[in-house]
Amino acid sequence: MAEDVVWSPVRRLAEGIRSRRLSPVALAETFLDRLERLGPRYNAVVTVTRARALEQARRAETEIAAGSYRGPLHGVPYGAKDLLATSGGIPTTWGASPFKDRVFDFDATAIRKLEEAGAVLCAKLAMVELAGGMGYRQPNAAFTGPGINPWSRDAWSGGSSSGSGSAVAAGLVPFAIGSETWGSILSPAGNCGLAGLRPTYGRVSRHGAMALCWTLDKLGPLALTADDCGLVLEAIAGRDPADPTTADRRFRYDGAGPTGRRFRFGVLRDGCEEAVRENFARSLEVLRELGSVEEVTLPDLPYDDITRTILFAEATSAFEDLIESGGIAGLTAPEDRYTAYARDAILAKDYLKALRLRGVMAREADRVLATLDALVAPGRTTVAAMLDGEVRSAIRGTARDVMGAVGNGAGLPAVAVPNGFGARGLPTSLQFMGRAWEENLILAAARAYQSRTDWHARHPPEA
Amino acid sequence: MSESEAVHAEVETLFALVRERYGGRLDAEQLAGVRTAIVGIVEAACALRAVRLTNADEPGQPFAPHRADP
Repeated sequence: MAEDVVWSPVRRLAEGIRSRRLSPVALAETFLDRLERLGPRYNAVVTVTRARALEQARRAETEIAAGSYRGPLHGVPYGAKDLLATSGGIPTTWGASPFKDRVFDFDATAIRKLEEAGAVLCAKLAMVELAGGMGYRQPNAAFTGPGINPWSRDAWSGGSSSGSGSAVAAGLVPFAIGSETWGSILSPAGNCGLAGLRPTYGRVSRHGAMALCWTLDKLGPLALTADDCGLVLEAIAGRDPADPTTADRRFRYDGAGPTGRRFRFGVLRDGCEEAVRENFARSLEVLRELGSVEEVTLPDLPYDDITRTILFAEATSAFEDLIESGGIAGLTAPEDRYTAYARDAILAKDYLKALRLRGVMAREADRVLATLDALVAPGRTTVAAMLDGEVRSAIRGTARDVMGAVGNGAGLPAVAVPNGFGARGLPTSLQFMGRAWEENLILAAARAYQSRTDWHARHPPEA
Repeated sequence: MSESEAVHAEVETLFALVRERYGGRLDAEQLAGVRTAIVGIVEAACALRAVRLTNADEPGQPFAPHRADP
């Protein structure tokens, strides 16, 4: 099969599959070969799921030949962050050495829904151990090694969905599923020059996903375009009795193309490095062609502290057994082996204060967003960290991230798309954050931006 | 991170608790890392405590009574 299917957006692959110009089996073989051959170069893969992929691809090919077409993911390969349970003897490691041989006997709801949509699971993808919940400070925080960025192999691919980012950027899969508690979809998407969609909290079932923080965890796609993210979200969204936090709201992706809508964008000013700031300024020029851009402010609240306190308290409870038993000593990053002990210092009343302030934060964010279509900001304030450098993180208080703190703390959707290159030739990104349940609106804005730019059409030269 | 006297006192109290629970499995460098992390936790707590809320400000998450389907 011609290599030009690599880096083809899902929508284009789907057209080829539906018209039977593309064979799902040949497509799976192409991406399985790339995963096996190039995956180790980026520490992107935990397990190549060849047998399951070929079985699913053959089924898709047979169904489509018989005239039974399930939709735009039918026959399309993908990878899943290795915190989603998979049956059939495929390990689910959570990126952590203590769990590297653990096998579940069921599929996470997101995996099951993708199977029902006809997608082809080709790999379980690498991730920061325990999704970064133990306080890591460096890229080398997974038993598979640091996630390596396809744009520069001395740079990190991001965290914690590191393999999901590098695998899509390197053309190892057309899309991947990641998870975000605070930054873990938008960060690898931004670092790797991809689109990444963090859905509204409760939009996608987390049943079968590793719990890091019950009130912050979300699952979402990383793909080449915002449009592809919408296609994937439609497949994985929906109420799930196995996850009581899922909302009874149907999501149907409205991807009909540019609508001519005039958008209202708001900008929250926050500090970022120069190249990121310059690219963001250029992005705002594009956005002004699409609508209005105005500066907005939020009340002075300790946003980072609110979300950080919730995250630390819940993560420490979620992994109580591992921490209390001393099992964290088996983790890869040295700081992950002890930092969680400090969280016994979080007092119950402070955790509850953070939860009460979350309510205020959510109301204030919605008040601002109610007058806008989206808040826009750099996806990240810096380009990707060096592999041997320290990861600056708002989660640990070594960086500020008001958009991330508010967006994750209040459970709001956001999509990041590439908007240029910064230091060391590494991608920078632009994020659109919307009101709860407004994924279609922020995806429309991101699509409109991508219709006027070509950053998403550029791919790493070495991959 | 800078520590005010009030923060310092709270940090030392909480650090003593954590060291009592886990000190036996940590070396000096790790204990220093734990102490640094506690400074961050206490500073965050101070920022939260500084915001005044009313009696009506409930936690921003719902609790729902459970009743299994018959």
